[in-house]
Amino acid sequence: MSYSLTLCHMYPDLLNLYGDRGNVLSLIRRASLHDIDLRVETISLSDEFNASKYDLVFLGGGQDTEQNMLRGDFVNNKGPEVKRAIEDGVVFLCVCGGYQMLGKYYEEHDGTRIECLGALDLYTVGEDVRFIQDTIYEVDFLPNVKQMTNSCILYGFENHSGRTYLGSDVKPLARVIRGAGNNGEDGFEGAHYNNVICTYSHGSFLPKNPAMTDYLLRTALVRKYGEEVTWEEVEAPVEMLAREAVAAYLGI
Amino acid sequence: MTSFRTGLAWTGARMSKLMLHLLGRGATNFPGKVAMKIQPRMLSLLCENENAIQITGTNGKTTTTHMTVDILREAGFYVVTNVSGANLEAGLITALMNGKKGLIAARKKSIPTAVVLETDEAAFAKTAGKVRPKVCVVTNLFRDQLDRYGELKHTRDCIAKGLDACSAKVLLNSDDSLVAKLRDGREDRTVFFGLSAESMRYNNVTYPGKSADLPASSDAEYCTECKVKYEYASRSFGHLGDYSCPKCGDKRQKPRFYVTYDLKTSPSDVGFPLELHDGDATEAVKLSVPGMHNFYNSMAAVATTVILGEIIDDSSKLNFSACSKALMQTKAAFGRMEKLTVGDKKICVLLVKNPVGLDRALSFVSETSDADSLYMLLNSNVPDGKDVSWIWDVDFESKILPEKVFVSGDRYGDMLLRIVYSGIDEQHVRYGAMKDCEKLLDEALAACTPGKCVYVLPNYTSMLHLRKCMVKRYHLKDFWK
Repeated sequence: MSYSLTLCHMYPDLLNLYGDRGNVLSLIRRASLHDIDLRVETISLSDEFNASKYDLVFLGGGQDTEQNMLRGDFVNNKGPEVKRAIEDGVVFLCVCGGYQMLGKYYEEHDGTRIECLGALDLYTVGEDVRFIQDTIYEVDFLPNVKQMTNSCILYGFENHSGRTYLGSDVKPLARVIRGAGNNGEDGFEGAHYNNVICTYSHGSFLPKNPAMTDYLLRTALVRKYGEEVTWEEVEAPVEMLAREAVAAYLGI
Repeated sequence: MTSFRTGLAWTGARMSKLMLHLLGRGATNFPGKVAMKIQPRMLSLLCENENAIQITGTNGKTTTTHMTVDILREAGFYVVTNVSGANLEAGLITALMNGKKGLIAARKKSIPTAVVLETDEAAFAKTAGKVRPKVCVVTNLFRDQLDRYGELKHTRDCIAKGLDACSAKVLLNSDDSLVAKLRDGREDRTVFFGLSAESMRYNNVTYPGKSADLPASSDAEYCTECKVKYEYASRSFGHLGDYSCPKCGDKRQKPRFYVTYDLKTSPSDVGFPLELHDGDATEAVKLSVPGMHNFYNSMAAVATTVILGEIIDDSSKLNFSACSKALMQTKAAFGRMEKLTVGDKKICVLLVKNPVGLDRALSFVSETSDADSLYMLLNSNVPDGKDVSWIWDVDFESKILPEKVFVSGDRYGDMLLRIVYSGIDEQHVRYGAMKDCEKLLDEALAACTPGKCVYVLPNYTSMLHLRKCMVKRYHLKDFWK
């Protein structure tokens, strides 16, 4: 049986910073290797978001100007349906600004609170010093990638001034091995709630972490077709090479 | 007191320059830094009574500067300019200190003089008030090392600040909605340059390109005032084009200086025919530095020199016709379309620092007839920007790249992935870390068909490294000497 999935790429014309587009390219590539027919739809300001149409949703990060432009639309117009999708188990990948927007609020320098969607129990505080560096995280729930060792080690690059703090209803995505992670204090990175994956790692996140890409695809398949889906491990030789190159560059 | 301080600043700078030369190092920034420390007003003093031009924007600064300098020299001007990459205050000071003697000597002989300074966008805010330029050019605003500058709006604010610190004529790119906004409050001293709207439309319709599955990340799709998507009657590349906001009516202004063109032949070839216009006047020229982005740079350089001529009342030498003709004599700037002949093969270096630069370079390689292979180098040192994820913003997918691809640099793994994800078979890619960069260039050359060219696309520090190797091997002139 051949499977098909539909990915909703939200606001690609506004949230497209630091190569977030690479995550979509990764999903397309790995889906094709797994013989999944992945359709990509894009929606932006004033388009309707109909949760029942989608198996996966990608929400990237943007510049402040752009994020301010769409926040109202995201929270007020699409918000209720996004919340429904999250409770319904739709698979989400949210990066940086997209991650912050799912939380309760973003507090700026001067104490001004910007209300966010509040779908996830977390909030963010803006700080002066930006975290700009290579990151390495560890998780424990990813599927194997054929012939790949350490597939649960994630390589990323963070570039954010917001410090995110998780409430008790949300689990962190990963343990930080290198980098600052959510806030530079508690040693954790990202958030994981239902099938929502949030991270501060930008555009090279999924390309260098095929196990995560596979996880998102497999989770969406299971949700759509049930636990019995056939899933074969697929190798990722170039991705492995890229991971080794980063590790060597970082002196690991 | 001030003059004693200034004298000391000169001595300090000279000594540091001497030291650096003894050490065999280029001195394009450090002497200026020393001088600035001793005499904070150094830049202001050096620019006293000079015919200064400042060129800023995220892309095309170096080429536009280079072309402007060449046109002025062709017109008989004695010109002082800064070396590419030395475009912060210290770099400007170093260039002016090196050139001051020449400027004074030229004026004694009644030779006209000018100072043309490529200026970093953030540095422009701080230097324009000191340089007091007669003309400022803003080439364009594309995303560029956002880890350094934050965001594009901030970059534009820096430029606005600089423009307000001086009374220069402001030459703006009419096709860039972000740049064109800088006219607000400066209408009486703004002049626009761009591509002809009719030409853009004609070429869009006549030669539609291969469209991408996933469009490249774009910078300015929405009107920042109204949060409404711009409508485009036509485009050149990126967010540049004939835009209008359906809500507030903000739209592209008709430029005084504009280019008409026909893409029936490839703009990647030297000698591509263009028509430059200054209002009703037209000059047919041949593109001296290939690539469609150089339509803008060429027009900007001609417009700059014509306007300078008007300001200093020297239109006998700096008129539209003479400047257009002089443009054809210009050569590529350091690392920009620089072609080097090695036996019966060629190497062409195209510096790429940001998404739109990479997009233009890949388009160029796709369209040119002599591309044998593509050699990409990616580093992530501070001058490059630590974050290399921008390579994913670029649409590689719709480009027709050479079959032979080579990849190097500290971040070769990231670039290799990017290339392979664009659909190139990994079997055709040769790769290695920075230590292998020379070896890979040899391989590319060895594999190159005679008469063809290896296109090298490095980012900043990888270019410096490769350039150093090439200077040694091919006995090139060092660029800082």
